[in-house]
Amino acid sequence: MSEPVLVRPAADPASAAGRPLPPPRARRRRRVPLRPWLLLAPGLAVIGVLLLYPLGRVVWLSFQDYGLRNVVSGEPNYNGLDNYVALLTDPFLWRVVLPNTIVFAVVAVGGTVVLGTLVALLLRSLGPWWRTVVIGCVLVAWAMPAVTGTYVWIWIFDVDRGLVRQLLQAVGLVGPEGFNWFTERLSFYAIVTLNIVHHGFPFVAVTVLAGLLTIPRELTEAAMLDGANAWQRFWRVTVPTIRPVFAVVTILSTIWDFKVFAQVYLMPGGGGTNPEVFNLGVWSYVRSFAQQSYGLGSAVAVLLTLMLLVITIGYLRAVFRDEELR
Amino acid sequence: MGRKHVLPAVALGVAVTLAATACGTGGPSGAGQTLDVWIMEGTHPDATAFFDEVAAEFEATTGAQVNVEFVPWADAHDNFVTAIAGGTAPDVAEVGTTWTPEFADAGALADVTERAGDTSDYVPGLLEAGTLDDRLYGVPWFAGVRAVVYRTDVFEELELEEPTTWEELREVATTIQEEREDMAGFPVPGGAMFSALPFVWGAGGDVAVQAEDGTWQAEIDSPESREGIRFFTDLALEDGLSTTGATTWLETDMQDAFIRGDSAMMIAGSWAPAAIMETDPELEGRVGAFPIPGRDGGYSPSFLGGSHLSVFNGSEDEELAWQYVQLLTGDEFARRWTEETSYFPGRQSQLAPFTESEDPLVSPFAIQMSEAGHGVPVTSAWGQVEGQRVVQTMVQAILSGDASVEEATATAAESIEETLNGGA
Repeated sequence: MSEPVLVRPAADPASAAGRPLPPPRARRRRRVPLRPWLLLAPGLAVIGVLLLYPLGRVVWLSFQDYGLRNVVSGEPNYNGLDNYVALLTDPFLWRVVLPNTIVFAVVAVGGTVVLGTLVALLLRSLGPWWRTVVIGCVLVAWAMPAVTGTYVWIWIFDVDRGLVRQLLQAVGLVGPEGFNWFTERLSFYAIVTLNIVHHGFPFVAVTVLAGLLTIPRELTEAAMLDGANAWQRFWRVTVPTIRPVFAVVTILSTIWDFKVFAQVYLMPGGGGTNPEVFNLGVWSYVRSFAQQSYGLGSAVAVLLTLMLLVITIGYLRAVFRDEELR
Repeated sequence: MGRKHVLPAVALGVAVTLAATACGTGGPSGAGQTLDVWIMEGTHPDATAFFDEVAAEFEATTGAQVNVEFVPWADAHDNFVTAIAGGTAPDVAEVGTTWTPEFADAGALADVTERAGDTSDYVPGLLEAGTLDDRLYGVPWFAGVRAVVYRTDVFEELELEEPTTWEELREVATTIQEEREDMAGFPVPGGAMFSALPFVWGAGGDVAVQAEDGTWQAEIDSPESREGIRFFTDLALEDGLSTTGATTWLETDMQDAFIRGDSAMMIAGSWAPAAIMETDPELEGRVGAFPIPGRDGGYSPSFLGGSHLSVFNGSEDEELAWQYVQLLTGDEFARRWTEETSYFPGRQSQLAPFTESEDPLVSPFAIQMSEAGHGVPVTSAWGQVEGQRVVQTMVQAILSGDASVEEATATAAESIEETLNGGA
């Protein structure tokens, strides 16, 4: 057992042991292809109404020059790919919006997953009583609505009277004139990152903990007998064993952090007075609802969706490169 | 304070209207219906009780329930547009006068020209703002104007006079700033358009003007406008009379700071003093107002705005919605609303008692309104300029040091022209 351990308990003994399935069973399966669809139907119907229809409508809108007047009258006004051309040739997209979205997401996802994993490791080493207490506290952060959480952070960072201002002033880092961190792109997003990481790590912690608890104790014990230290055990035993769990939390965090909206929009200046801090989500909203060019706003939204699709597919491929997908 | 006589007036008013409606048209027509109404909030004093009473009265007359939703001013434009887009617009709403042409042009508002009939009694500026192509879409409800609201106790202790020129304004604010620790002399908010525009207009500038051929020409980057914006922003940047946080303040934040005692002056509406004293009764008698001083004397024009009441297309029962509009704009409730909120009524016949008032919290605003009121471009595209927060973005960029006055005004001018001329 000196090799890195990649063994997972085989879920289906049949597929592991005997390769060809008994022919009569297979034939019976082929004869009733309706049943899976019937079982899927309720779920598909809900997804269709709540997800596919709006998605289709956004794509449809993105090929139009659609204003408030069209909204009221309902008449379409196609303009082909004009919205996409205007969007992709806009230096604002490349200079401000994309960097804001991507750099922020990378940092926030990294922060969320690292912090969540650390908390999960801590939770694993705790006894039942303390584990319950810590999980309880951690879940409070998760349960807080995004809007409430954002206002708490705004309050903490209030430029004139906030806790952070008073603290920094007390230790002499900020002069009496103060510093408005909401107007600077970097400090603005630093606060957003704090907010997002704080809001997002409990999910990662709880999910990773669930994964950690499935790792057979023998694996860790064997690694310890072979002289692996904690660092090696984590990277050689824990991570490979529960890699799918990490894949899931990373993908979900990436999706959430790419389409962050409320946590930016509600911050001072984030709602439109400071375009330097727009990300794709806010830009799409401002284009659509403040400037009433729903076509352009939809094009931004489609762009965001496509980016997320590409990223998700890339992640999945990377994670499951060596493993069978099913 | 001269407006504590509300209670007896309420009783009398209800009695009178009840009597009036009792002998009106037959039985209730709207039984079983619910009317959705949006009313703005944020700077008004708390209006829940008032609208409860209007609702009770309306139900007694028509049998219909009223569901009033209070929408914060800062988000209202987005909320309206979202609701129109989603088909969830209310039946009746208070609509900011600068937005009415935009929503009407989009076809979201019901044409009430016939229902309104004779409009000669409405305040002309408000009537004009509610009219598009000779059709009336917004019924003038009340007018509002901003002036300078200040702390009289601070002025008295420091033996300061109400300033009458920009230079005096700066001097007074500087004195306060020096004498009062933790009190900003004159906060310069980055997110409050109507705090900045008086200085643009006061310097002889403007936002945009319409040329002979109907196209709009931005004036926000004219030398006059720039002078005004420079004075306004320099109050913060050069003279340090504002606070660092004010760069991202909205008008509501400015009012909160004033209530907390963090500032001695602010540009605020005639409705603000009542709201301030409602939040902190300790400030009763310590709040005064004066018209915004002109650059070298006289007054700087302030935005003459207000609210219309509009019926939305798609309202299930337009007649019922109209009855609600009539009830609110009728003499009784209009008088009470203006008394409780210190707005000015939207009808000239109701306005007289205010312009002649001696009340120190009414007359400065009345002067500002009658002598130095100013409108914004009347065009359906103006709402987009507000929606994009062009003026706020400009002021904020200057305050945060991201752009010079020249750069910021040039960017704003480009954006305004593009929007007002239909993006062409």
